Amino acid sequence: MRSFRFALMLTPVGLALLTAASALAQSAPHALPAAPKNWVQTKTPWGDPDIQGTWTSDDCIGTPMNRPANFGDRAYLTEQEMAERMKRLEQQHEGDLKDTVDANQRVGTGPPGNWGERARRPCRQTSLVVDPLNGRTPDLLPEAKTRPVPEGAGNNNPKADSWEDFSWYIRCISRGVTGSILPVIYGNGQQIIQGPGYVTILQEMVHEARVIPLDGRPHESSEVRSYMGDARGHWEGNTLVVETTNFLGGRTGIGLNGGGTPTSDALKLIERFTRISPDEMKYEVTVDDPKTYTRPFKIAFPLTQEAGYQNFEYACHEGNYAMFDSLSGARAKEKAAAAKAAAGK
Amino acid sequence: MKKALLVLGTVGLALLAAAPARAHHAFAAEFDSEKPIKLKGTVTKMEWINPHAWIHIDVKDENGTVTNWMIEAAAPNALLRRGWNKNSLPAGTEILVEGFQAKDQSNRANGSVITFTNGKKLFVGNAAGDPGAAPGAPKQ
Repeated sequence: MRSFRFALMLTPVGLALLTAASALAQSAPHALPAAPKNWVQTKTPWGDPDIQGTWTSDDCIGTPMNRPANFGDRAYLTEQEMAERMKRLEQQHEGDLKDTVDANQRVGTGPPGNWGERARRPCRQTSLVVDPLNGRTPDLLPEAKTRPVPEGAGNNNPKADSWEDFSWYIRCISRGVTGSILPVIYGNGQQIIQGPGYVTILQEMVHEARVIPLDGRPHESSEVRSYMGDARGHWEGNTLVVETTNFLGGRTGIGLNGGGTPTSDALKLIERFTRISPDEMKYEVTVDDPKTYTRPFKIAFPLTQEAGYQNFEYACHEGNYAMFDSLSGARAKEKAAAAKAAAGK
Repeated sequence: MKKALLVLGTVGLALLAAAPARAHHAFAAEFDSEKPIKLKGTVTKMEWINPHAWIHIDVKDENGTVTNWMIEAAAPNALLRRGWNKNSLPAGTEILVEGFQAKDQSNRANGSVITFTNGKKLFVGNAAGDPGAAPGAPKQ
């Protein structure tokens, strides 16, 4: 079988055919399987609600953090809007499987369509922020408005004097707690593993491991601070509640991939994980940062499971050629500008 | 070496849109939108590294001079979920690449459109994040 496969791979045509055939065998966008009737939350052998598995926030890929103004206070899509989004996902899926390039294919510097992972079903929400009711992140306090924001992936003309100008995500260091679970274009895996007295969440992109004690111990001293903070969990019925404090200030923000205005050292996050069926979990996080935002706010989205989905290693730093290229590119531009200026004298 | 590049010129530039880049880095920080490239090359290796895979190709110009280029591709994890693995693109495969050269003018480029020489897309596959089945792997 192996040699047969290899032989086929020797030709581009064979490769294309195989790739397409394999993809066709995989799933198109589909509704989440209905929860079995009378489903009840199972327990671990030591009696905690069992929420183990590899979950993703993929369903809400592309859902905006802040609700577009045209939705007003409407938090959810209508059935018709959901059907339209499902159709769009199906078209996207067909495009992914198409083995030829469209004549009008755009050649650009942006990420090609083949880079992303896709949602399997539309996200019902109109925004990821669910409280306040307008679905929008509260205003920043004046002191936060002046806080330096590191260069993120959205800035095509970044200050690039040093690697330190770039975000902690681009530097392969961390996306922070919310940045590591919010839905982005790929790498949204969240593997939850439980043991007596602990829940651990392994997050694929930037490979975070959150080890959350459940034994009621107090937070570490406020002198002990980190990018991912100090998490403490407990169960409220079948809901895992995690309170995280002791963050370093001025690192990651609450945006996708930890972007946006960095939060302060006063940040407190309260997350709630509630499994509502074998394949779906409600996730919400309350962001309370009295040195950054005018009021606390809440973000929510579903986490879902697909059979066979697994996290892969994401060791990012060694292969981060983009950092080298961004810095050397900026130096080359400066040199060219200096030469032009000198020639003009 | 420059002769090996079929410069796309203003048409390519006109097609550029300010699409938000939410992958690992800002593309226009790394690649020069004024340096479009179109290369035909032979794969020498593919680096399966995060945050992005890189395809190495040898490009021969009309004088027979060979230059090695590096082409940025998707995150390996996303490629795995599309059904790719590290054996999927053997050395020796000929491919066509359209994209933009690195701002520092090194032989690196983004792979905006990559096809085989018969015009078929290189990266075809389901992107829904399903199990990392290699091309041709038994159905799960």
